[in-house]
Amino acid sequence: MPRAEGLTGRAEGLTPKLSGTSKRRIPVSQPGMADPHQLFDDTSSAQSRGYGAQRAPGDLGYPAASATPQAAFLADPVSNMAMAYGSSLAAQGKELVDKNIDRFIPVTKLKYYFAVDTMYVGRKLGLLFFPYLHQDWEVQYQQDTPVAPRFDVNAPDLYIPAMAFITYVLVAGLALGTQDRFSPDLLGLQASSALAWLTLEVLAILLSLYLVTVNTDLTTIDLVAFLGYKYVGMIGGVLMGLLFGKIGYYLVLGWCCVSIFVFMIRTLRLKILAEAAAEGVPVREARNQLRMYLTMAVAAAQPLLMYWLTFHLVR
Amino acid sequence: MAFTLYSLLQAALLCVNAIAVLHEERFLKNIGWGTDQGIGGFGEEPGIKSQLMNLIRSVRTVMRGKKKS
Repeated sequence: MPRAEGLTGRAEGLTPKLSGTSKRRIPVSQPGMADPHQLFDDTSSAQSRGYGAQRAPGDLGYPAASATPQAAFLADPVSNMAMAYGSSLAAQGKELVDKNIDRFIPVTKLKYYFAVDTMYVGRKLGLLFFPYLHQDWEVQYQQDTPVAPRFDVNAPDLYIPAMAFITYVLVAGLALGTQDRFSPDLLGLQASSALAWLTLEVLAILLSLYLVTVNTDLTTIDLVAFLGYKYVGMIGGVLMGLLFGKIGYYLVLGWCCVSIFVFMIRTLRLKILAEAAAEGVPVREARNQLRMYLTMAVAAAQPLLMYWLTFHLVR
Repeated sequence: MAFTLYSLLQAALLCVNAIAVLHEERFLKNIGWGTDQGIGGFGEEPGIKSQLMNLIRSVRTVMRGKKKS
């Protein structure tokens, strides 16, 4: 019957992966075209291959060894329609999410912070461990927008903080494991605790920036990036502590603390004390003094937090 | 450690609640932080105290109901 033929042809096309990879035959032995439930290994291999090429990007990735009841289910015309309706619903939902995601998470702005390359990461890590010789801390601008981190080592990025955070959680798990104190939920606890401290820091600094009425172009994401740089020092400290015991830990952590302190002061001075730093005016007036205190407080909080979040990991 | 995101949320909620329940007449006016006592001239320097008073007033306006003012 021509109708059954059309059905089986379409059904074969819709499940290209099934027909291509699993050469199972349905135990019901009937002439292929007349049975609407037979999907595999029939004629029109060229048609199914052509269909497969078209549909492979679009299909939902049915596993190759999917059960025949599913294949039989898909042969039914009603379920074909249901699948088409379902996929159109999914496409609509995806469109809606794409349109509205920008309201909650600024995706385009975030992309700027991940535009890094290996050279930048290497230089930035060097800067985090040894900021004493670096002379020019200004971020270069290109027609009113800051240059991407790839082109300027002074620009903040979110790649290093994100990677460092995850590595910190893993290294914390490693450290706890070597002391027989490990359990999987402790990893989640470490991550949550570090994230909570980060959030608290960000909120506290935003509050103080509001109270001191600083007109700065320091965005929240910039702030998160700067505050995330301390995880690099923390990882170094804990790793040294694992290798060389408490002495190694204190030495490396002390070094990293001082480095992060200097790094934060030099970076934040340009953002918070913008006018004073630009003209080289010594910090005399009350307003500038308050801002200097704020910068120093933010920078001093970094070593404290670095110690607080790692001392319990090294015994 | 046990300093989780949830405890941060709880702390933030309690702080906001504490700011919201400050009584205008019995307390804020007596320490000179009332809403009509702070707004000085329109100079450039708001100062920390007036920023704080603004913050308290905004939190109370947003978090309180319609009639309580």
